[in-house]
Amino acid sequence: MTLLSTDAAVASSARKILVVDDESHILHVVSLKLRNAGFTVVTGSDGQEGLDLAHSELPDLIITDFQMPQLSGLELCRRLRQEPATSHIRAIMLTARGYQLGPQDAEQSGIRRMLSKPFSPRHLLATVNEVLNEAA
Amino acid sequence: MRRVNIWSMAMLVLIVASGTALLWGRPLIVGRLMLPATSLAAAGGMSAALCGLGLVTSLRRQCRFLIQFIETTDLDRRTSSAGEVAPTLGPLGRSIDGLLDRVADMTERVTGRVKELEIHLKVATAERQHAQAVLYSLSDAVLVTDLFDEVVLANESAARTLEFDLKRSRRSPVDRVLDDEDLVAMIRDMRKSDSHGGKRIVEHKITSPAGEKTYKVTLSCVPGTEGEVGGVVAVLHDVTREREVAEMKNDFVSSVSHELRTPLASIHAYVEMLIDGEARDEKTAQEFYEIIRTEAQRLGRLIDNILNISRIESGLVKVNKQPQSLTVVMKDAIEVIAPQARLKGLSIVEKLTPVFYQTRADKDMLYQAVLNLLSNAVKYTPQGGTITVETEVDEAHGRVVGRIRDTGAGIPPKDLPFVFDKFYRVEANNHMAKGTGLGLSLVRHIIETVHQGRIVVDSQVGKGSCFGFELELCK
Repeated sequence: MTLLSTDAAVASSARKILVVDDESHILHVVSLKLRNAGFTVVTGSDGQEGLDLAHSELPDLIITDFQMPQLSGLELCRRLRQEPATSHIRAIMLTARGYQLGPQDAEQSGIRRMLSKPFSPRHLLATVNEVLNEAA
Repeated sequence: MRRVNIWSMAMLVLIVASGTALLWGRPLIVGRLMLPATSLAAAGGMSAALCGLGLVTSLRRQCRFLIQFIETTDLDRRTSSAGEVAPTLGPLGRSIDGLLDRVADMTERVTGRVKELEIHLKVATAERQHAQAVLYSLSDAVLVTDLFDEVVLANESAARTLEFDLKRSRRSPVDRVLDDEDLVAMIRDMRKSDSHGGKRIVEHKITSPAGEKTYKVTLSCVPGTEGEVGGVVAVLHDVTREREVAEMKNDFVSSVSHELRTPLASIHAYVEMLIDGEARDEKTAQEFYEIIRTEAQRLGRLIDNILNISRIESGLVKVNKQPQSLTVVMKDAIEVIAPQARLKGLSIVEKLTPVFYQTRADKDMLYQAVLNLLSNAVKYTPQGGTITVETEVDEAHGRVVGRIRDTGAGIPPKDLPFVFDKFYRVEANNHMAKGTGLGLSLVRHIIETVHQGRIVVDSQVGKGSCFGFELELCK
């Protein structure tokens, strides 16, 4: 384990992160990186499952893909934002589409950062810590 | 025959001419001489005074003779006959001869000129009809307006595209002819812009019950007679299809980049995890290596499929058609797929016709198509299922039919029309296997584009799918 992730592990104990992606390898690699850094990780393989898990698990942060079956990542975040129980959940979007988020979309969905695939798990972890440390 | 007094006659002619000239107020033209009406009148008056009333009777006689002579004279004949009949008329006859010669000459020239003009008219009419035919045959809509924004010319395509009555449009204000306010404004602005020889190209959308169409509107000024802007020509070229193709290309590139990034993202992430020492033991590291290997393979397959489809679509692919047995091709593909099927506990049933029947095909491509269909059957059929591979010969219609039937997940009816589209994936079955969304698109290209065959799919959710294709049988 690197120094960075050890530090992060200490700082982020008991923080829960929901990872949603229809690519099993991405789910696997992201959750492994986060678990190694001390986070609790739950995973969903499509937008609908992500929505259900967000309600039941109430994570501190969601990392979601954009293009997914059933429900897109953007729509998932929008719905969570609309409901009082989940409106506080911050989100990071991880997408292979060259997709730019407008300020209105960012406001309506609570998406704090956009990362594009291929991505660096190291950079993703740093971004997770950054977003969790930001003021609400 | 009576003798005619030439002087009396000359006087008579002058008197008559002067009276006429005064009456009309115009000069009298005699040959190339132009005698003013007033001088003629004066000359006439003097002659009358000189000759006196005694001449009247003689003049009357001679007048009658002259009238009779003119009435009976054939213009084509020489008037010397008049001289023969009445010798005193000799000089008059000669001058009439001269006059007739000039008249004949002029008539000839006028006739020539008339013929020339007739030819010019015919040429001009033919050119006008030709230009009109060109204008009407144009698929582009053409509308010409004048200085007052009135329609002076339009073709049928314009009437059809902009929905107006062609016959009633002529000389009507353009804002009454067209409902499209934006287009009217464009024409007006162009006319007001006063830009000589200038051109404006604007993209313009027109919505009709048939749907929305995109036009490239080219506006140019027509010069008037004195160099001012005399009107505007608007040409509307339909670019709807071009825009759609551009959009499709854009979607394709966007989909390709998404599909390529996905396996690349896994490779990139796992390699970094290995570098960062995130694999805690050798077993995990091995797992990472294996993922990197399969994702790299996936990426390679994806690139191959994209290139193959693109080559087939652009007609660049080299096709080597030879008589082949579909049964042999099916057997080769089954051999390759069998280990994967065994792993999933699937059984493969062969119902193949004798290898004797042949079809003209590119063996490698046909093999690729069959392999893609078989690979899909294995991917989407759960444990313990059956895959049936059939060939059938329809000698009556000269066809050979291939079928790959499975007892798999099936395809929902809403997805069926799109399964052969590029990058289309059946959402409901997405979880069952990874795919590029290009395999079936390639199969259709190989069967239909390369071999002029036909591919069909029949499916029931939960029961399975059957992909069948027809190829021409070698005679």
